[in-house]
Amino acid sequence: MLGYICGRILALMMILLAVSVIVFSLMHSVPGGPFDERKGRLPPAAKANILKKYGLDQPVWKQYINYMSHAVRFDFGIPYQRPHTTVAKLISKSWAITVQVGLTTIVVAFGFGILAGVYAAYHQNSWIDTLVTFVSSLGVTVPNFVVAMWLILVFAVSLNWLPMGGWGSSGQCLIDKYFCTDWILPVVAYAIAPMAIVARYTRASIVEVMGEDYVRTARAKGLSEVKVMRKHVFRNAQIPMVTALGTEIPNLITGSIFIESTFRINGLGKYFVTSTLNRDYPMIMATFLLIAFLWGILYLLTDIAYTMIDPRVRLGAKSLS
Amino acid sequence: MSNSTPTRRSFLKDAIRRFSQNRLALLGLFLVGFILFLAVFADLLSPFAYDRVYFDRVLLMPFDHPEHPLGTDEVGRDYLSRLIYGARTSMMVSLSVQLIALAIGLPIGALAGYFGGAFDFVISRIIDIMTAFPALLFTILIISVLGGGMLTIIVALSITSWIVIARITRAQILTLREQEYCTAARGIGASEWRILFRHLLPNAMSPILIAVSLGIPTAIFAEAGLSFLGLGVNDPIASWGKMVGASNAYVRVYWHLALLPTLAIALTMLGFSFLGDGLRDALDPKQKIRV
Repeated sequence: MLGYICGRILALMMILLAVSVIVFSLMHSVPGGPFDERKGRLPPAAKANILKKYGLDQPVWKQYINYMSHAVRFDFGIPYQRPHTTVAKLISKSWAITVQVGLTTIVVAFGFGILAGVYAAYHQNSWIDTLVTFVSSLGVTVPNFVVAMWLILVFAVSLNWLPMGGWGSSGQCLIDKYFCTDWILPVVAYAIAPMAIVARYTRASIVEVMGEDYVRTARAKGLSEVKVMRKHVFRNAQIPMVTALGTEIPNLITGSIFIESTFRINGLGKYFVTSTLNRDYPMIMATFLLIAFLWGILYLLTDIAYTMIDPRVRLGAKSLS
Repeated sequence: MSNSTPTRRSFLKDAIRRFSQNRLALLGLFLVGFILFLAVFADLLSPFAYDRVYFDRVLLMPFDHPEHPLGTDEVGRDYLSRLIYGARTSMMVSLSVQLIALAIGLPIGALAGYFGGAFDFVISRIIDIMTAFPALLFTILIISVLGGGMLTIIVALSITSWIVIARITRAQILTLREQEYCTAARGIGASEWRILFRHLLPNAMSPILIAVSLGIPTAIFAEAGLSFLGLGVNDPIASWGKMVGASNAYVRVYWHLALLPTLAIALTMLGFSFLGDGLRDALDPKQKIRV
């Protein structure tokens, strides 16, 4: 187990290295840089000075080594567009907002998703089941910014119940600056797709487990319905549910560019788009590394979670794909 | 005698029968057919050119003006025409992306899966790296490097999409090459290439076709999303995503600017998803669990 985890972490580090090389070389592969003159020309001496200050006059491989030697010490440099702060500060500030969006969405999506899935599985082919199936196929297919626009049209424009955008700026909050009225629309728009996936996984796995022989045995020996569900059905239905969790959480924690730009939330995704447009190399690199790191770690945690809920799973076994 | 033996049906006939009994799949086929019809005949169907500007008819509501049944946008272009031409942009990007992904991913995945070795090692590592972060971020990075425009979007989306096809093809070939009929073919002296092309690829085709058909809505979403962020196709080309993005500033009063293109995106994606799901059920009846 420990050896397996060490191997996975080593593989993750190799992937981070590869990601950094790819992103760095892509960024430097085309002419044009962050200090190209858009509004009026700089005198050549001044431009050379700026390039020198940021090390952009050196060969690319040297810039890369320079950058990485700082990055391993968590010094990701200074964003070109905002010289008065550091990349690490800017990212932690914007990511904090993204995590607030993500965690609230996870709670909503998994709470309602599991509830709906369990209910639909237990009342198969009822109208609730049909409704859950219908809403979830809609939620998986329709992009979240489209859902976001519909929610805005209904609840912000025609009904005028909720604000159109922002995050914690509406002034009507539950606790201090958290859980405000302007959290509702982005969280609902963001939660619909993962909620749909969770509901479908939950329903499918519970329906499958309920047909197993050991569940019939448990009923036959006279266990109460609650006990059958809790001890036999849920325990075994957890495994596919963790699959859904494991693939959705990295996505949700790193945020949605579309939700953030529709609702004007200053999160990680929004900064990523503006920094790619401005060729802000340090910001782009740091964002990529952070997201690749988070994905790797969260997938590893999911695999470990598998072994905890399903003792049959052996980690490190050779798989085909 | 002939009555007692069951009628032989080909796999294709069987698949068509299964498909035509699936109501959602038929609805999907109808929607997709309709969108493709709009895309192909956009020039004939739309009342105005997509870039025809009427400066005296800016931001008309639907049915306000007899010549513009769905109103006009913020610079006075006929909204119905923009919606019809938007279908063309959406189809052009998504279909070419999937074709390119198939053309690159299929041979690479098949060779990696069949011959293994150093080539397979390199391909598997590329797949590992590319799946280590969201494809969307990588697409945006490529677009920011290459600059916007329709061709760039197709290139950027193809770079991230071939990975999916290559991974599925590789996994398919890996399982199929251990099957008895493959050993039998090798036993009677078939060449490696013959085994790969005559025996393995035809059997691997169903999952690959399903992946391609389900990849189309993903590409539609990507194009609409990128255009929505302002990273997509350039003006004056019509794109549903761009229309949604532009409507943001006017949505309080001119709600139709947001509603109509979002409906178009949703219907198109639903159509392709139903069609893809129907194809999966028709082509791969073994895969019973539908999650």
